[in-house]
Amino acid sequence: MSKAAELAALIGSQTALSNRNLIINGAMQVAQRGTQVTGSTGDGYKTVDRFNVSNSSLGTWTFDQDTNAPNGFSNSFKVTCTTADASPAASDKLLIMQRIEAQNLQLLGYGTSGAQSITLSFYVKSNKTGNASVNLLQHDNSNKLVGFQYSISSANTWERKIITFPADTSGVINNDNGYGFQLEWFLNSGSNFTGGSHRSTWTAFDNTDRNVSNLGIGGAVSDYFQITGVQLELGEQDTAFEHRSFGDEYQRCLRYYYRTPAPNGGLAANEPFPCVGNMDGSTTGAYMLQFPIPMRAAPSAIEQSGTASDYSIRVTSDANGTSVPTASGFTAESALINLVSSGAGFTSGDACFMRAESTDAFLAFSAEL
Amino acid sequence: MKTYTVDYELEDGTQMYAKVDTDDKIRLHATDEYPPFQAWLSANRDNLPSDIQAKINAGELTILEAD
Repeated sequence: MSKAAELAALIGSQTALSNRNLIINGAMQVAQRGTQVTGSTGDGYKTVDRFNVSNSSLGTWTFDQDTNAPNGFSNSFKVTCTTADASPAASDKLLIMQRIEAQNLQLLGYGTSGAQSITLSFYVKSNKTGNASVNLLQHDNSNKLVGFQYSISSANTWERKIITFPADTSGVINNDNGYGFQLEWFLNSGSNFTGGSHRSTWTAFDNTDRNVSNLGIGGAVSDYFQITGVQLELGEQDTAFEHRSFGDEYQRCLRYYYRTPAPNGGLAANEPFPCVGNMDGSTTGAYMLQFPIPMRAAPSAIEQSGTASDYSIRVTSDANGTSVPTASGFTAESALINLVSSGAGFTSGDACFMRAESTDAFLAFSAEL
Repeated sequence: MKTYTVDYELEDGTQMYAKVDTDDKIRLHATDEYPPFQAWLSANRDNLPSDIQAKINAGELTILEAD
């Protein structure tokens, strides 16, 4: 499509000219958790922010925030098989997903006569060719789903895919901070997730409809799947990917996950964490850490390096931690962090801050959907 | 990871659970709302550690249905 035609289509579609991408980190720019995870056999967020992996006993994987990407992009999310599963058990599955906050989907008008279609576009690359499955699930409506097939035509080649999902006039998406959509790309599965049919209209949840066209990534070692440029927008017309600045995407990601030190700004030994407090007794530093932006909800997890001595209490001298930092209070805006140094002899009530004793030291908080 | 275990309790009564990695280090503490903890509970519901099972039996921990 020419630029003029693209603009005409965009205006004609009455789609917003900016802020139209409902996906966060669609260009895979932000990876607070790191740029590579190896030997992974489980679920969770692997490298890039907001894109979650669900792996149920289907192989072993390396996940990368990769620098190979289509023109105009700097990053992609790459999934590479290191231990294959040629014959997945019935309940085995591997998929990539992003959950979208329900209150950000109110513009779709779901559950009303004015409900609107949405269009997904993304770039994909794999060593495997063939048909694959992509679905949307509505969490607020018992995971009612709609799902389509797309095809990877050429191996090891970036291809752009465009899929329009129909409106749903009956499924109300709650106006809250839970998740409204789960957008998922199935990469492989056992029989529990296939054998049904793709759903071109919103229908009741059925696992067998989720991976009708099984791409089978992970049937062999070195199978890979790469994705970037993910955009989900109002209307039936796809538009060029809405590139946002790193800072803009980073701010959006912080609503769901916050890790300090920030990406590319690692703490050297003896540098401070952004939290200050006071001694609660002679051995416990109690710190208030305010998040850079309010999170989606009070975090449900705190992460740290796992090594107590990576952290220290600083008053007028340092005392290394003897237990890993813990949180004793969470709100969407802050957390109260405790660090214990059993041999410290500080004065209760004295001001203190937390310091890194190692470049491995970090604190992270999750309010992911 | 190796397992989750019951850990400390917040002042408001919220129970925190610790994720124990294969090297026996604890790198994460979570509430029962943490989605990966819930996914782990769901996947291991028939073979949970005794301290976790006790919380479920006491009605203090609920396994949510995974997608």
